[in-house]
Amino acid sequence: AVPPLPRRLTAARPPSLPPFLPPSLPAGRSGDGGGALRPLYMDVQATTPLDPRVLDSMLPYLTACYGNPHSRTHAYGWESEAAMEKARRQVADLIGADSREIIFTSGATESNNMAIKGVARFYKSKKKHIITTQTEHKCVLDSCRSLETEGFRVTYLPVKKNGLIDLKELEAAFQPDTSLVSVMTVNNEIGVKQPIHDIGEICRARKVFFHTDAAQAIGKIPVDVNDMKIDLMSISGHKIYGPKGVGAIYVRRRPRVRLEPLQSGGGQERGLRSGTVPTPLAVGLGAACEVAQQEMEYDHKRISQLAQRLITKIMSEVPDVVMNGDREHRYPGCINLSFAYVEGESLLMALKDVALSSGSACTSASLEPSYVLRAIGTDEDLAHSSIRFGIGRFTTEEEVDYTVQKCIQHVKRLRDMSPLWEMVQDGIDLKSIKWTQH
Amino acid sequence: VAAGDAVPWQVVDHYENPRNVGSLDRNAKNVGTGLVGAPACGDVMKLQVEVDENGRIVDARFKTFGCGSAIASSSLATEWVKGKTVDEALKIRNVDIAKELCLPPVKLHCSMLAEDAIKAALADYKLKQDPNKEESEKE
Repeated sequence: AVPPLPRRLTAARPPSLPPFLPPSLPAGRSGDGGGALRPLYMDVQATTPLDPRVLDSMLPYLTACYGNPHSRTHAYGWESEAAMEKARRQVADLIGADSREIIFTSGATESNNMAIKGVARFYKSKKKHIITTQTEHKCVLDSCRSLETEGFRVTYLPVKKNGLIDLKELEAAFQPDTSLVSVMTVNNEIGVKQPIHDIGEICRARKVFFHTDAAQAIGKIPVDVNDMKIDLMSISGHKIYGPKGVGAIYVRRRPRVRLEPLQSGGGQERGLRSGTVPTPLAVGLGAACEVAQQEMEYDHKRISQLAQRLITKIMSEVPDVVMNGDREHRYPGCINLSFAYVEGESLLMALKDVALSSGSACTSASLEPSYVLRAIGTDEDLAHSSIRFGIGRFTTEEEVDYTVQKCIQHVKRLRDMSPLWEMVQDGIDLKSIKWTQH
Repeated sequence: VAAGDAVPWQVVDHYENPRNVGSLDRNAKNVGTGLVGAPACGDVMKLQVEVDENGRIVDARFKTFGCGSAIASSSLATEWVKGKTVDEALKIRNVDIAKELCLPPVKLHCSMLAEDAIKAALADYKLKQDPNKEESEKE
């Protein structure tokens, strides 16, 4: 038990904070930037607002309780360590793991780097092959690419038109020296859910470690590391209404997964990730996990209803709309739609009161359209026409209705401005046209 | 999208207050139609001009499949060609379009496509006026 702090050591009262703003505010003109009205937030796959309960849990550690959790010699340290360990338990509880299997990191990108590079390098004397998919997050793909320059071989499994991997292809991809399989649980662009149970079984039978990037899945759908035979898992704080800058990696103890640390230092986090654990952020992650566990069922039901509302309304009013990714095996809160004959960025500009994102090339720094949409076989022009709608814990029915109404209105308007729509209305087959090269 | 990527108001204006969106009769002898770009690239512009008997452009229309900058570039192109002769319109440069709309470097290709659209429309018009001359020039 942590002894109470003597009165004279407590910090002065912090200055009064600005009034707390609820995560969502009504839409309106946002031209002045600093005004009271801000766009509706429908981009939860990119990031989420802090749940007020998470902020509450973090505040003491951002104000009076500022000790380093690794300071063993005084009450500031003990208090901070206790909070960190409580957070670790909260994360572990959400995924059915033991506290000792949770390592705090700076986010899912770091966790993915640790899992892939760490495991590959540890076992490199005997094992040189890794299997992953073409629709993984960039940090997974880039980690694999980096390992290829170190002499590893990587198989990037294709996905079917619905975004799911073919289990037979996975089985065929194993080689005698495969050390790791990495498949994300829920895709951040199109929302599809991979068959994690089945993949876990296949990997366990072949004694190959199974890593999953669960950043978009945990706290939203039930994930159990033992049930699903997961050996490593990446967790992100800011995708589950927790703070930015923190995440975690689950590393199985039985059977033991070894990994070569990326970050050297004082040996914190079982030597796997040196560096002072940022107590306020870890506390926030823990609280976010606990809140998510409580709210999961209710959130899922509500978000499913809102998602169905959005899809039904749009698709009944607007022709030639394609939903990208499997209709059934998906997380409902991530909806990726392609509006044929309308370019994505122009639609985002038109929907200026709503924060959304697109798979269009124009919205990416590299000017290349989304590789996830390309992997599921989407025609390039439809890839340019895609919009991702994110529905989350704080999304209201009014926000969905407003978004739907504006979307329908502006799709119609942009189609009236579109030469492709005009040609299609005139009965021309766009595939028969010889377009000018650029 | 960072603050530096915020869409310039000049670009938004062309969408919110559209000018010259639409179509002219492509079969009319004095109408030139240019269709440039490709759906696979996310950029297609159709630009049409109506030229009077003195060789002056009296009307122009556009339709674009593309981002806000592409729409604005082609919209501005239709504004600028009106009142010019065919030869004057051929002098419109993409850099002027980009400057007028404050296009960031990553969007300069939209203005280039708009310039191509103008040239394509005028080439089509010229071809319609004298198809035989075009044939002999090719040889």
